[in-house]
Amino acid sequence: MPPAPAPSDADLILAVLERDDRAAFAEIVRRHQSQVRTVLRRLTRGDMGLADDLAQETFILAWRNLRHFRFEARFSTWIYRIAFNAWQSEARKRHEVLLDADDDERPALEVAAPEPGVDVASRLDLERAMTVLSDGERAAIAACYYADLSHEEAAQALGLPLGTVKTHILRAKAKLKARLASPEDDA
Amino acid sequence: MNEFRNDDWLDRQLRADARRLIEDQAFSERVLAALPSPAPRANPWFKPALVFGSTAVGGLLANLLAPIGPMFIEGATQLAHLRGFTPSVAALLAMTSVLVVAGWVLATED
Repeated sequence: MPPAPAPSDADLILAVLERDDRAAFAEIVRRHQSQVRTVLRRLTRGDMGLADDLAQETFILAWRNLRHFRFEARFSTWIYRIAFNAWQSEARKRHEVLLDADDDERPALEVAAPEPGVDVASRLDLERAMTVLSDGERAAIAACYYADLSHEEAAQALGLPLGTVKTHILRAKAKLKARLASPEDDA
Repeated sequence: MNEFRNDDWLDRQLRADARRLIEDQAFSERVLAALPSPAPRANPWFKPALVFGSTAVGGLLANLLAPIGPMFIEGATQLAHLRGFTPSVAALLAMTSVLVVAGWVLATED
């Protein structure tokens, strides 16, 4: 007898809504924690402690507001939106966030110690390069590459005009390219 | 052309970094532990019964204490003795219907 297929996100959400099923919510958290924490680590310029606090806040807010989830959207899109809002609220508290600003370079934070994985050097280079992006540029890159949102979804999640998101992406990529050496260039 | 190669390389780097898995390391347990305690489930009929009952009692008291109150008492008496559809009976039935509808709407409102 083949094993039962894993329940979809929608099945798990229904279990939470109908039966207050915490085990189902735990499965949702396990499925999405890695991506949500990765996005928040990039948004917080590698501040892993703050990123994990915000990720925890994100999932708690998701739990509280799950009845407002509309099933026509992907759950991941919805939870990234909560994560971006949590990050923006935190940054506002620190008077830091300037999503519309063109250029707000700040001193880079210390980059986190490397974890086991492929091509650690490239990743560290990327992490360092990301720290020089403005809040808006970093948010746009996090939304479109790390959260895998379309430009339109990113604009909605970040509360920015579509054109601003596209501009941030272009500028961010130009800055990253300037900071990172392309392997093809070295060849 | 070189520009495109650079872009491809950067896109690959970003997407590879995005796909990197972060081990749970008890993160899920911390989230679960921080969730609010489950609220005790109230009887689903409690709120409608409370709203409907208080509307009925309030409406009855208001009608009995209003200047028109004696008319309702007279209507109730006539209705009890099956004395036909008098104006007092009509007034009593109309007011009762209004109370029932208002109470029902309030009770079933989410």
